[in-house]
Amino acid sequence: MTLILTDEEVALADSVRKFVADRSPLTSLRQLIASGEPFDAGVWKQMTAQLGLAGLTIPESYGGAGAGYSALSVALTELGAGLVASPLLGCLLAAEAVLRLGDDTAKQGLLPNIAAGELIVTLAVASSAGGQVTASGAGDGTVLTGTVSPVLNGAEADVLLVPADGADGKAIYLVQGGADGLARTRLTAVDHSRSLARITLAGTPARALAGDAAAALAAAADLANLALAAESAGAMKACLDMTSGYARIRVAFGQPIGAFQAVKHRLADMEKSFELGYAALRDAARAGDEKPGDFPVAASVARVLLASAYAEAAVDTVQLHGGIGFTWEHDAHLYYKNGLSNKVLLGGPGEQLDRLADALGI
Amino acid sequence: MSDDFRARARAWLAANAPRRAAGDDEAEAESRGQAAVIAEHKAFQAKLHAAGFAGITWPREYGGQGLTSAEQIIWSQESAGYDLPTGVFFIGLSMPGNTLVELGTDAQKRRYLPKMLSGEEIWCQLFSEPGAGSDVASLQTSAVRDGDEWVLNGEKVWTSGAQYSDFGAILARTDPTKPKHNGISMFIVDMHAPGVTVRPLKVATGHSPFNEVFFDNVRLPAGALIGEENKGWDAAVVMLRHERIAIGTMGSSRTSPLAFSTLRDLAAGLGKTADQGVRRELAELYARSRAVQLFALLLREETQAGRLPGARGSVAKLAGSDLGRFAGNVAADVLGDQLAAFDTDELAAVSTAIVAAPGSAIAGGTSEIQRNIIGERVLGLAKDPGVDRATPFNQLRVGTQREQ
Ligand SMILES: Cc1cc2nc3c(=O)[nH]c(=O)nc-3n(C[C@H](O)[C@H](O)[C@H](O)COP(=O)(O)OP(=O)(O)OC[C@H]3O[C@@H](n4cnc5c(N)ncnc54)[C@H](O)[C@@H]3O)c2cc1C
Repeated sequence: MTLILTDEEVALADSVRKFVADRSPLTSLRQLIASGEPFDAGVWKQMTAQLGLAGLTIPESYGGAGAGYSALSVALTELGAGLVASPLLGCLLAAEAVLRLGDDTAKQGLLPNIAAGELIVTLAVASSAGGQVTASGAGDGTVLTGTVSPVLNGAEADVLLVPADGADGKAIYLVQGGADGLARTRLTAVDHSRSLARITLAGTPARALAGDAAAALAAAADLANLALAAESAGAMKACLDMTSGYARIRVAFGQPIGAFQAVKHRLADMEKSFELGYAALRDAARAGDEKPGDFPVAASVARVLLASAYAEAAVDTVQLHGGIGFTWEHDAHLYYKNGLSNKVLLGGPGEQLDRLADALGI
Repeated sequence: MSDDFRARARAWLAANAPRRAAGDDEAEAESRGQAAVIAEHKAFQAKLHAAGFAGITWPREYGGQGLTSAEQIIWSQESAGYDLPTGVFFIGLSMPGNTLVELGTDAQKRRYLPKMLSGEEIWCQLFSEPGAGSDVASLQTSAVRDGDEWVLNGEKVWTSGAQYSDFGAILARTDPTKPKHNGISMFIVDMHAPGVTVRPLKVATGHSPFNEVFFDNVRLPAGALIGEENKGWDAAVVMLRHERIAIGTMGSSRTSPLAFSTLRDLAAGLGKTADQGVRRELAELYARSRAVQLFALLLREETQAGRLPGARGSVAKLAGSDLGRFAGNVAADVLGDQLAAFDTDELAAVSTAIVAAPGSAIAGGTSEIQRNIIGERVLGLAKDPGVDRATPFNQLRVGTQREQ
């Protein structure tokens, strides 16, 4: 497989881009901000039932498309460019964890429904500062106690997969959204396109899923790196296009502002960081499909590079638009906030570098 | 077909390519003597050509292999783990060579390309002058017509490899009454011709990779012109494009003193890899180096798919120079005061590489010029106004000017 996109991937990118433009332009994100809804249920229905985006990495035997990481990263790049609000990321991480575990009931029960968009499932993970959950009891009497925050779509999830420490070590537990003793508080998310919640469990009934939890969580963390890198790449490209477009038409001191090197060179650096990050993203996607052994490092490299580069690009987008770029009406702040959030979700740059250093055996 | 080529390349490299320790050509020239280094490179290039791995995409009738960029990519992948001793041919093959393939006459291609490939003749690139570097179109070296020949006078500077080159591709002014871009021509000059004087210049590392070159009534024969008379700027643009792409996609050697693995090993040797700051910096160096390699690979794949990199070659070149600078900072953090003074070859190599790093942000067009190119030709931003673009050259001020 190559770094450049295949014809099918180009077609997938085109169809997702068209979908975003038609069904989820940035004006609809503003409607969500106004209504307080976490996402548009109609858009989510179409993303799943029609475009099959929640099932791209789920095998056909479980109702997915089995299309792989590269296809997923292509779709996420387009969704990221349009800041599409949806529970996709949480569902992807949950599905990945379930796939890596050895719990057939969970696979049969959850995966086809995730792929079809019938069930919102999330993986209740956060960075190392995000809280802790312990398990006690056994069998039908198993209960969880503790807190995790922030959890992707924690308030909307029908089912939560919660990692917790029990007598036999760490396991992943299945908790129903309506379970007793489960409190879910939707938090004020800096990024308007993400819904994040604090999950508090107080003797909440749960079922332990069979399988290697550590391996499942590691795989989900790698997929999170790929997904956040892909979304960031798309959003960064949107910033680059928006800002170089403006630099071509905004005139000051008798010339387009893009003629000033302070502007031109900053955009050139943005282009450079984008190209480098994008190449790393393609490598990670390729490794995910073909060289699973290389995937953790490759996905980490892509995330480390793109999360920081995008956050920088988003600030530059505000700066290079001048006053208009700082207004609520302009889209620059939507990207700025998304960039900040993407940079820190599930562990900020320092934690990501620590993880990469571990993976590299430094 | 390409699997075949890969297998052949892999086997040949394993059997023939030396694996070398860290070091650079100039430092080696210092210790072993330049003649020995050149003899080694010529012999290796000859072997490479005989085995069918030189000029992979160049036409067969000019000594090339007549293959596609697919084989070129395979070759780059397979040879990436080696430091092939062919450095003295890098400029000739990638710049004048590729330019001749594109713009040369049949006679020029027959005469010069085969001997470049077989390692018999070394070439240099004579663009920069004391008064014209970034703004190379302000050059003052002149070529005046005399019958169907030309007479060349002037001075070039920073010419890499001129001290051992057989030929050079030179830009000279052929019509000073035209605006600066419109009165330039490109020629092939014989570096052994009467009237050519080469004087080595020392760079910051103390080595002498480049030179100043003087031309005193040097006669250029008919047939020396590359492209058309007074269209030398177009030829220069072609060569500069090849230069950026060649430098940008050259990749860095794994054994480079500033490579991730080298610095990681040095840090481990000093017991510093438990330090969180050092670990993070090394991890970031890995990420950034990997991305530079991957972007070069992406450009090669795009080329193979028929999408030429064009001005995005500048992205690769800029990224490579920035990486060198970043790696120098990591080395300083990793090695601390051990870098301030040393008596081991390893640390000397790191120090030399750090001192050499700024050169790559100047050679082949400075990083500022690359940013201009990216801004204007990749992102479509307005050009620098270029206040001197329309003025006849003989009415312009160029170079370094001081108040009288
Ligand atoms: C190691 C090395 C090897 C080289 N080998 C060769 C060779 O083989 N053949 C050859 O012909 N040349 C060679 N060069 C020369 C090189 O191409 C020039 O040094 C380079 O193009 C810069 O030109 P200059 O030195 O005249 O600097 P100047 O052009 O005077 O630049 C001075 C400073 O001004 C900045 N500047 C200039 N114009 C602009 C602008 N428009 N916008 C923003 N900033 C600007 C530059 O970026 C730089 O920082 C080599 C140089 C080095 C360092």
